[in-house]
Amino acid sequence: MNDDLLICRCQEITKAEIEEAIRRNDLRLMREVKRQTRAGMGLCQAKTCGHLVMGILAAESGQAPSEVEPDTSRPPVRAVPVRVLANRVADDDRD
Amino acid sequence: MRIEMHPILGEAQWGPKVTLMVDGKAVDAFEGEPIATALLAAGRRVFRHTTKRDEPRGVFCALGRCTDCVMVVDGRPNVRTCVTAARDGMVIETQRGLGHWGTEQILGEKGEQGHA
Repeated sequence: MNDDLLICRCQEITKAEIEEAIRRNDLRLMREVKRQTRAGMGLCQAKTCGHLVMGILAAESGQAPSEVEPDTSRPPVRAVPVRVLANRVADDDRD
Repeated sequence: MRIEMHPILGEAQWGPKVTLMVDGKAVDAFEGEPIATALLAAGRRVFRHTTKRDEPRGVFCALGRCTDCVMVVDGRPNVRTCVTAARDGMVIETQRGLGHWGTEQILGEKGEQGHA
């Protein structure tokens, strides 16, 4: 049901695409789903679809949702201009 | 339409009236309110078009999380309009796909205002 529903709104990945990737490749980890489908790799960095993908993965792979290992969170949480990071480095150098 | 009287936050406090240039057209706004608020109040629903399917998108979460409302603001793409304060004379464009950088940003003539 709702196979053409967009799960990852940023990368425009549907429920069917995610389920198909999980079944075809016997995926069990969030980072496997991410690398196979690109779900969660867009601008919002899985803030919208992360828990939905986890639910689909749990159902498709027969794991309890609590057993699914979450993907690794890596800062920065928001897109940050390189200039901001560069200024920070320059400030540190002056100290 | 704007919320003038909020049951919890009380009466709305608006800054001075300013003008945004949105795709070449002037749009009224109150200084400091989210850009998205001014656009919705002006009757605009579509803020960008998606990369893969070229579908229209606008405000979805409205609290800075989902990035569906991003537009090109003062030459900077991917600016979340629902959490970016309106300022007089801002140049705002509908974002197509991943967007594009304006030359003024590449040359660094504008400040850091308006980004995430």
